[in-house]
Amino acid sequence: MTAGLLAQIDSAVAAAAEEPAFGSAAAVLRSPLLWASVLFAIGLWLSLPRGTYRGRTLGHVITIAAVGVFAWQLPALVGWLDRGLFACLAVVTILSCVGAVTARNPVYCAIWFGLALLGTAGLFLLIGAQFLSVATVTVYAGAILVTFLFVIMLAQPRGHAFYDRMSWEAFLSAAAGAVLVGLLTAAIQQGVAPLREAAAPVAAVAPVDREDGALHGILAEEHVAQLAQELVGRHLVAIQAAGALMLAALVGAVAIIAYGRQSEDASVELAQRPLVRTAGEPAIVSPQQPEQPPPREAPGRIHA
Amino acid sequence: MPDAELTLLQNYLVVGAIVFAIGMVGFLARRNVIVMFLSAEMMLQGVSLTLVALSRYHNDWGGQMLVIFIITVAACEAAIALALVLMIVRRAGKLDIAFWQLTREENQPPFVDVEIPEPAYRDRTWPHLTPAGIEPAKDPDALAHRPRV
Repeated sequence: MTAGLLAQIDSAVAAAAEEPAFGSAAAVLRSPLLWASVLFAIGLWLSLPRGTYRGRTLGHVITIAAVGVFAWQLPALVGWLDRGLFACLAVVTILSCVGAVTARNPVYCAIWFGLALLGTAGLFLLIGAQFLSVATVTVYAGAILVTFLFVIMLAQPRGHAFYDRMSWEAFLSAAAGAVLVGLLTAAIQQGVAPLREAAAPVAAVAPVDREDGALHGILAEEHVAQLAQELVGRHLVAIQAAGALMLAALVGAVAIIAYGRQSEDASVELAQRPLVRTAGEPAIVSPQQPEQPPPREAPGRIHA
Repeated sequence: MPDAELTLLQNYLVVGAIVFAIGMVGFLARRNVIVMFLSAEMMLQGVSLTLVALSRYHNDWGGQMLVIFIITVAACEAAIALALVLMIVRRAGKLDIAFWQLTREENQPPFVDVEIPEPAYRDRTWPHLTPAGIEPAKDPDALAHRPRV
């Protein structure tokens, strides 16, 4: 299949494309990627909230099977430890994402998403981005997710409602997601295949490049120092812009809540004023006027 | 070995693509505003995985810088979006996005709930009853008992 894809790329580059980009229809139908995408669509459709719990377990099993077929298509990493760690972390991440999207209770969605963030942090650690893994756990899982949980607590304190049990067009959404996954994976395979065939290796990490034999670049030992040097040295304007953005977001969030409450109070007050003005009443009732005490009905009546 | 780097790249790109697609499905399918926003954050996570993989492959810090800024922007976006969600809930009374159907395009038919699914047996919640009656006398031995010293 690789040789066929290479020939396809050559012909598409050389002449106007009369042949289909991904090979003949028969080849596409026989490819495991298509069946993995179809299984993924069916599994997600069964797992999404559709009003009943029937078929949900089957949906989970089919989704796991689809992920397994995707994994079977991928080349294996070198070394059993790398392979095992990547498999565990990737499976945890993907299944937590599926759980986050298909859980009925929004609090469960947030907690599954927390697990997905931990899986992503592990994947970052495995590839050598140590600062990003810790930043994901601290900022994303520690601040953003907690904010989500607070807002869920404030907005929906009674568990899940009827709209949490239903989805908009579950089958179409799952089909769209599967088409996206199939096309992206096929594009990745097509993009990587010519690089694999190429004689000269492309810009991979050169392990020994300094006199003391230490790694350079993104796998350097002083990872955070190099990252900070890059961040402050090359992206200083972006840091200032991000700081201004955070200030604007902070002020904006407070303003939305404060002015929202004020405008809502004003609208409630407007709704309570009478629409038709009776004779003798002033047109605009000033809210600052103190209320007049009621006049005495009969002499001698004692007011408490 | 360059082939090992390429394999690592391909694995991470596929995982990132799958996470992104799952986030997209969640955003399209769910009706709860907060879960929709959570799926958007999941799409950002998929993109972060892709960026970190390409940063490792090309030995360039740019990918990781972009992920740092993605985390920053996601935090700001979460703050503003959740403030807006609180305003929406105050106006609508619920987190259902079908309440705001009037913002749809003009030639789209409205989405009407044909049947509202009943809560499943396993999701039933019991009502909270206020306790009534005379409070029994407390046993001092039971009060002083510590199951674990």
